Amino acid sequence: MRGNTRRRVGVLVGLSAATMLALTSCAGSPAAAPEAEQLELSDEPVTLSFTWWGNDTRHAATEEIIAAFEDEHPNITIEPQYTDWAGYWDKLNTSVAAGEIPDIIQMDEKQLSTYAANGVLADLGAYSSILSTEDFPAATLGTGALDGTQYGIPVGVNSYTIIANQTILDQYGIDLPDDESWTWDDFVDVSEEVASASGGATIGTQSWGFEDGGLNNWLRQNGSALYTTDGGIAATEEDLAGWWEFLLEATEGGATPDPAATVERESGGLAESFTATNASAFGPWWSNQVQALRDASGQDLVALRVPGTTDDSAYYKPSMFWSSSAKTEHPAEVATFLDYLANSEDAADLLLAERGVPANEKIREYITPKLDEVNQTVVEFLDSLSVGDAPPATPPGGGVIETIIDQHTTAVLFGEMTPDEAAASFLEELQTALDDAAV
Amino acid sequence: MSALGELRTLKGGSAPKGRRQNKAAYLFLLPWFLGLAVITIGPMISSLYLSFTKYNLLSPPKFTGLTNIERMIEDERLHHSLLVTFQYVFISVPLQLALALLLAVVLDRGLRGLAIYRSVFYLPSLLGASVAIAVLWRQLFGYDGLVNQVLAWFGIEGQGWISSPDTALGTLMILNVWTFGSPMVIFLAGLRQIPTMYYEAASVDGASRWQQFWRITMPMLTPIIFFNLILQIIGAFQSFTQAFVVSGGTGGPVDSTLFYTLYLYQRGFTSLDMGYASAMAWLLLVIIGAFTALNFWASKYWVFYDDQD
Repeated sequence: MRGNTRRRVGVLVGLSAATMLALTSCAGSPAAAPEAEQLELSDEPVTLSFTWWGNDTRHAATEEIIAAFEDEHPNITIEPQYTDWAGYWDKLNTSVAAGEIPDIIQMDEKQLSTYAANGVLADLGAYSSILSTEDFPAATLGTGALDGTQYGIPVGVNSYTIIANQTILDQYGIDLPDDESWTWDDFVDVSEEVASASGGATIGTQSWGFEDGGLNNWLRQNGSALYTTDGGIAATEEDLAGWWEFLLEATEGGATPDPAATVERESGGLAESFTATNASAFGPWWSNQVQALRDASGQDLVALRVPGTTDDSAYYKPSMFWSSSAKTEHPAEVATFLDYLANSEDAADLLLAERGVPANEKIREYITPKLDEVNQTVVEFLDSLSVGDAPPATPPGGGVIETIIDQHTTAVLFGEMTPDEAAASFLEELQTALDDAAV
Repeated sequence: MSALGELRTLKGGSAPKGRRQNKAAYLFLLPWFLGLAVITIGPMISSLYLSFTKYNLLSPPKFTGLTNIERMIEDERLHHSLLVTFQYVFISVPLQLALALLLAVVLDRGLRGLAIYRSVFYLPSLLGASVAIAVLWRQLFGYDGLVNQVLAWFGIEGQGWISSPDTALGTLMILNVWTFGSPMVIFLAGLRQIPTMYYEAASVDGASRWQQFWRITMPMLTPIIFFNLILQIIGAFQSFTQAFVVSGGTGGPVDSTLFYTLYLYQRGFTSLDMGYASAMAWLLLVIIGAFTALNFWASKYWVFYDDQD
C-alpha cells in the first residue's frame, strides 16, 4: 500500500498541468480549456505499449498498421497487447492496479468515464500540437469528452439497426418492411408472420434486451434517455416497464423464440446467434456487426432503421475510442501514434471499416470507395439516417449496465419478475453501481 | 504400516542426527516455502486488508472498516449464490463419491485390461474443470445437442438443458459427478491396502460377498472415504470454470448457476468492487474451514483406523 501512496504522490508532483486537471475534475471542479503542452519527440529509442480488444481480422490489420508506423518512425517501437472482448477488461483493470497502464488504450464508451474519473486517462487536449482532431465532427468528437476534457478520440461510428434476412423473407413471400414508416407493432406482426409461415422452423426475430443500445433507442423514441447530462439516471420506472412489457408480449405472441433458446444463443455470441446461422428473419444489431454477420450467414442481410424511429431518436455511437495513459512517459510519441491512427490515410487503407465506419470525415470520404459492397451499404445506411445528439455519456460505474440488463430481461422472460418489478429493481441496482463508483 | 513405523523410529531417533536431517529437509522445503510465502501468503494478507476497504482497482484502496461485511449481510444475490453453491456441493459430491466407489470396487475385481479402464475413467478428472469440457457440455446439453438427439429416438422432445433455470444447475452437477476418476483412483489404492486375509477368513466363515463388502471393505475404507470427502467438498466449493463457461459468465439463466466464486468474480472484475470481492473470498475460506472442521469432528464417529490400538 505504501508503494501505491508513494507512486501517487510522485505522480501528483510530476504531472503536467493538463493531467492535474484530469485528476481534479472528478472532484467536481469546473474544467477549463487545457493549455497545449510543448511536446518534444525523443531522439532515443522509445517503446510504447498498445492494447486493444478484437477478433483475428482486427489483430492482423492492427499489426500491419503498427509495422507501417514503425517504418515511418524508426526509433518508436509499438508493443501490441491484444485479446478478445471477454478478457480485455479483466486484463486492463489488473494492469492498472499493478501500475502498468498501457500507453495507448482502445477504450469503450461504457468504461471511458470510469477510467477517466480514476485518473487513468490522459487529457488528449494536451497533445493537440501533434494530434489533430479538426476532421472530426464536433458532435462525434464530443462523445469522447467529459466535462470538456477530451479523454478519447472516437474511432468509428455505429448505429443501432434491425438486420433483416432478405433471403428468408423471399422464401416465404414476405415483403421487406418499409423502414421509413414501420412501427414496433408492424415489426412484431411481420415477425409473427415469418414464424407462422415457416411453421415454426424459422424464428421471426431474435429477442432483444441484452445490451443497452436497444434500450437507449427505445428511451429516445419516448423522449427520454438512459442517463442525464449530470451523470444521473434519466430513465423512469414507467419507461423501463413499458420496454419489458412489450418484449414479453412479443415473446408470448411468438415473434421471438422461447426464452431458453434465446438464453442459449445469447451466451454463444455472434457466431451462434440466430441471425448468423440464418435461423431468424430479423435481429437487432449494431451496424458495424453487419460484415461479421454477412460472413457467417452467407445470405443477403439488410440493415433497417429501428421501428418507430423519430426524427432525432437515432444516433451515432462511437464504436470505440483511442485513449492514452495519464502516466505515459512518452506523451509526444503517444500523440504521434494516435495522430497516425486517427488521421493517416495509410492506416485507413489497412484498417478499412474494421473498427466501424471512420468517425474522421475526411478519412471516411477517402476510404468509402475502397470498401467492399457490404460496408458501402453500411456507410450509405449511416448517411441516410437523420441522427440526433449523442446520448449523455455513461457515468462512472455504468459499465455494469449490460450485466444488469441481461439479468433483468432474463428474469422477465422466464416469469421470475414482472416488467414493473424488473423496472424498479433495475433502477435500484444501476443507481447503487453509480453511487458506489462516485464515492 | 511399515512406513508409519519408520516415521516413529525417525521421531525417536538420536537427536543430533535428527536435527541434521531436519536441516536438510528444511533446505529441500525452501523453494516450496518461498513460493508459498510470495504467491500465496502475501496475496492472502493483502486480500485480508482489502476486505476492509473500498477498492476499484483503478485508484488506491480506501479503508472502510466493516462496511463490506454489513453489505454482505444485506446482499440478496450473495445469499442466493451461497444457496446455489450449497446445492451443488451437497448433491454432486456424495453422488460423485458413490459412483467412484462403485467403479473402484468393480475394477478391483481384477478385470483384464484394468490399466486401460482406470485411465479411461480417470481422464474426465483431468479434463473436467477445463474450459474445453465446459464448452463440450454446452454442446451436449444444448437445443441441438447430443442429449436431445438421443431423447428424440425415444420420441421425447428435449429442451435447452443449460438455458432453462430449472435444469441448468443439474447439468453442472452431472459434469462434476462425471469427474469421479480422481477419487476412484484413490479408492482403488485404498482397496489394495485391505489385507486379503480378512476376506479369506470371512469366506471360510461363510460370509457372502455383500456381507464382506459392508463388514470388511467399507469399514476398512472409511479413512479413504473421509479423505476423498474432504478433498471433493473443498474442490466443489471453489468450482468456477464450469459455471463461467456454460452461462457465458452471467451465472444465468436467472442466476440459477451463480456459483459463489462466479459472483465473487463479477463483483471484483465487472463491478470493480475488489474490496467486497476480497471480503467474499475470506467468507468462503471461513465456510470451507467450518465444513472441514465439522467433517473432522464427525469423523470420530464413523471413520475407522485399522492401526488404532
